[in-house]
Amino acid sequence: MALAAWGLGAVAALAWPLLAPPYFVFLATLVAVNAVVAIGLNLLSGYTNQLSFGHAGFLAIGAYTAAILTLRAPALPVPLTLLAAGLVTGLVGLALGIPCLRLDGLYLAMATLAFGFVVTEGITNLDALTHGNDGLRVPLARLGPWTLATDGSRYYLALAVAAAMILAALNVAGTRTGRAFLAIRTSEIAAQASGVNAAAYKTVAFVLSAFYTGVAGGLFAFVVGFLSPDAFDVFLSVDFLVMIILGGLGSVWGAVAGAAVVTVLNDSLAGLQTYRPLIFGAILIACMLFVPGGLAAMTRRQS
Amino acid sequence: MRQLVLLVVALLVGSPGFARAADPGVTDTEILLGGSNSFSGPLAFTGTQLTKVGVDLYFRGLNEGGGVHGRRIRTIYYDDGYRPQDAVANTRKLVEQDGIFAVIAPQGSPPVVATLEYLEQSRVPMLFPFQSSTATRGRKYVFSGLVLSDRQSRMMIDYLAGPRKFKRFAALYQDDEYGKSFLSAFETDLGRHGLKLGATEPVKRGVTDVSAQVAKLQAAKPEVTFLVLTPGPAAQALKERQKIGWTDSVMVSTGPLTDETYLGLAGDASEGVEGLATLPDPLRSDQPGVKLYREQLQKYFPKNEPNRYSLSGYLAGMMFAEGAKRAGRTLTRDGLVAALETIKGWDTGIVPAITIGPDHDTQKQGFWVKVENGRFKPLSDWLKSEP
Amino acid sequence: MSGQALVHVVVSGLATGCIYALVALSLVIVYNATRAVNFAQGEMLMVSAFVAWSAQRAAGLPLPVALLCGVAAGGVLAFLVERAIIRPALSATHWDVLIITLGLSLMLRAAAGIVWTNEELPFPSLFSNHPVAVGPVRLAPVSLGVIGASLALMAALVALFRATRFGRAMRAVAQNQNAARLMGISVERVYSGSWLLAAVVGGVAGVLIAPVTFLSTKMGLIAINGFTAAVLGGFGSLPGAVVGGMLLGVIENLAPLYLPTGIRYSVPFLVMIGILVARPRGLFGQLERRKV
Repeated sequence: MALAAWGLGAVAALAWPLLAPPYFVFLATLVAVNAVVAIGLNLLSGYTNQLSFGHAGFLAIGAYTAAILTLRAPALPVPLTLLAAGLVTGLVGLALGIPCLRLDGLYLAMATLAFGFVVTEGITNLDALTHGNDGLRVPLARLGPWTLATDGSRYYLALAVAAAMILAALNVAGTRTGRAFLAIRTSEIAAQASGVNAAAYKTVAFVLSAFYTGVAGGLFAFVVGFLSPDAFDVFLSVDFLVMIILGGLGSVWGAVAGAAVVTVLNDSLAGLQTYRPLIFGAILIACMLFVPGGLAAMTRRQS
Repeated sequence: MRQLVLLVVALLVGSPGFARAADPGVTDTEILLGGSNSFSGPLAFTGTQLTKVGVDLYFRGLNEGGGVHGRRIRTIYYDDGYRPQDAVANTRKLVEQDGIFAVIAPQGSPPVVATLEYLEQSRVPMLFPFQSSTATRGRKYVFSGLVLSDRQSRMMIDYLAGPRKFKRFAALYQDDEYGKSFLSAFETDLGRHGLKLGATEPVKRGVTDVSAQVAKLQAAKPEVTFLVLTPGPAAQALKERQKIGWTDSVMVSTGPLTDETYLGLAGDASEGVEGLATLPDPLRSDQPGVKLYREQLQKYFPKNEPNRYSLSGYLAGMMFAEGAKRAGRTLTRDGLVAALETIKGWDTGIVPAITIGPDHDTQKQGFWVKVENGRFKPLSDWLKSEP
Repeated sequence: MSGQALVHVVVSGLATGCIYALVALSLVIVYNATRAVNFAQGEMLMVSAFVAWSAQRAAGLPLPVALLCGVAAGGVLAFLVERAIIRPALSATHWDVLIITLGLSLMLRAAAGIVWTNEELPFPSLFSNHPVAVGPVRLAPVSLGVIGASLALMAALVALFRATRFGRAMRAVAQNQNAARLMGISVERVYSGSWLLAAVVGGVAGVLIAPVTFLSTKMGLIAINGFTAAVLGGFGSLPGAVVGGMLLGVIENLAPLYLPTGIRYSVPFLVMIGILVARPRGLFGQLERRKV
């Protein structure tokens, strides 16, 4: 029964551009992109308990890297562009993660908040490269002779990347790294006492998280088509937090589900923008008070 | 988990936009217009006034009279908070999901300029954006909604350097397309008079605190300081100027800013401020069109005070209606563009007679104003922006 | 830069610094008592300011009374939030309280936009904006008024902590919760009291700064400066919060004079990063030792 449901889901996912109008294909693509970010954020906050308020900054770095690369080197095939976006962001993650090792809880949250802001300031000031506050138009992604000019083509790209990232994340859970993450999350001191090099693994989590978000950023740039630094603010970072809290900290599928719900909800509320923070805030509070494990916990209870 | 997948799919399938026919915004009974605008952030007040109290006010009256060729006009707006990236996303949603016929009265140079390419590719008209960047000029599907920055600058500099004989100029400007388009226009026009722009201080879009910039400008001792800002930081600049006792420079606001809105925020710090107004005094003018605007405002949106933002939106609605009327019962996007281009010497009762030429500029004149008892009083007649 | 202008810049910086100090104090008061951070502190003081505005406009109350109403409303809001939402969640990890207050900040911001408006509004000030002569220099009464009012409030806080039973109870709970409980102190009462006190301090900051920054739903973002000030001074230290706040205000005002003007908006974040990287315990803070 479960296999049939998964099969149906896979077919629907693959056939979506043929079934749905272009705007909904775009929306589904956005869900895939946000899912990758959510999984990346989960690696940091869900597994190793380092709450990040600055992931919009990583997304911005990935997005602008991909956009600028495509502008300067248009022949570069899109998988390489995305990889580059991920690597650059991962490096920044390393640079941020190391000094943040000795911070936790509130201090880390504050540091990531400051980081997010500094990134957008930096992007604004490098305006020869990024067009600053006026924004940057992202050229179309290219894959060999093809240009990803339709919503459908971008959807398949995002779907492929998201599938790969989800598989990778699910596999991490079973490896030594994954178990170390879980140990650190349960009790960092106990983990350290058992011989887990918490500092090393926390750094790995930072870098992986940044890499994921950077790749998603590259996708994001191509999907959205236009970037401006003021869109990557702390409220976007909070949106990602809502995704993983709603989905359930530490659950890969929870992150995907949370991303889907938040993305669709955001779009449905486009005419009611004033109510958006009200609803999202209520979701956060309700989750914490009534369902701390998020959607993942709810579905686990049922099965 | 599978229940969740079903739920998300159901949400998407159930949404109204899912089963959409390919009709761009015109049915037998209705025309659908829309736009991305500011309903939060630095331009929240002006955005709301422009659209929901301006454009919609005109269409209320129009619809009650039967609409245009038997069609009523409906509007949808989304909030971009003055962010270009969100403006592009909203505009795309309006065109692709809501299926609007044309974009009407979007606001702000950076967001508007960001959406230009997308709209051009989709061949969707952008009508009367409330912004002054010259990047919109000469595009087939775009018609201006404000006097553009080069025309404004010409009128301002010719007046200030000419009869007023000022020589030292400074500018406090927003650090993006809005501010920079004025800055380059100022430099060009000052050059014609053999002058140069002195100290300039940039202000990041969205912030209110400009105390550091004001302090630096005071040190440069200009005779005239241009304010190319949104109402919040502009009012802050006036208050800061009062606080530090900087009295020997005339503060001059540019077109989109020149309204009692930012004077109200600044309180008594607004005495002596001057500016270029592009619309008549919405409260006091006895032009027939402005009087009608006041009557309708009182009738449909009585809790709102008249201001130049809702008046501008009202005018935008009026211009669309005129274009739609001239285009005839068969309404297409190309047809609307052609119809608007036939407008010559058309009297709106609000601004000087409108003639739309190949540059698609709808308004080309402004007049000088100076604050007296909290309101702008005219100091000149309508100035010309053509040599 | 003339001497007069420099004096003005420093005094202005001290005035904003006082506001940051008050916000920092309110954050630290809650943290010391409950070991949890109120992410919604900024939004709560924003609500205080809006209530004061309504009290003056709609009810026509004289300005000082309206301001007190605003502050009181903030206190009531805090009390209710603490009882209804925070108290039940405190038994869980402090993570949860952080996220709950984050959710609360979102809700308050949206609610204020819906109940009042999303636009910027002018806010009446108790003090004038016209400079007056003070000895050899001219200063704006609004700066002096803010500094004076803030110092008065801080003095009142010192008196509260030293001389009242409640103040001593708060200090006891801040030092060691279990020991305080064993001494017969009602820790729950201290929790409620700290939230109430923090909201009052924050509310005063809100009504003092609103005339300068204009009243709007984004006023809550001042909490970021408050956090930076608290971290700078050493998170948990009350005198640290005051010194951190003043220092941050002055740095913010001096930096754009000697560096590119735009640096002003980055100052709180650069200071935050600088302190967290170089000396996380701040100027006066203590190193936290986590017990296993």
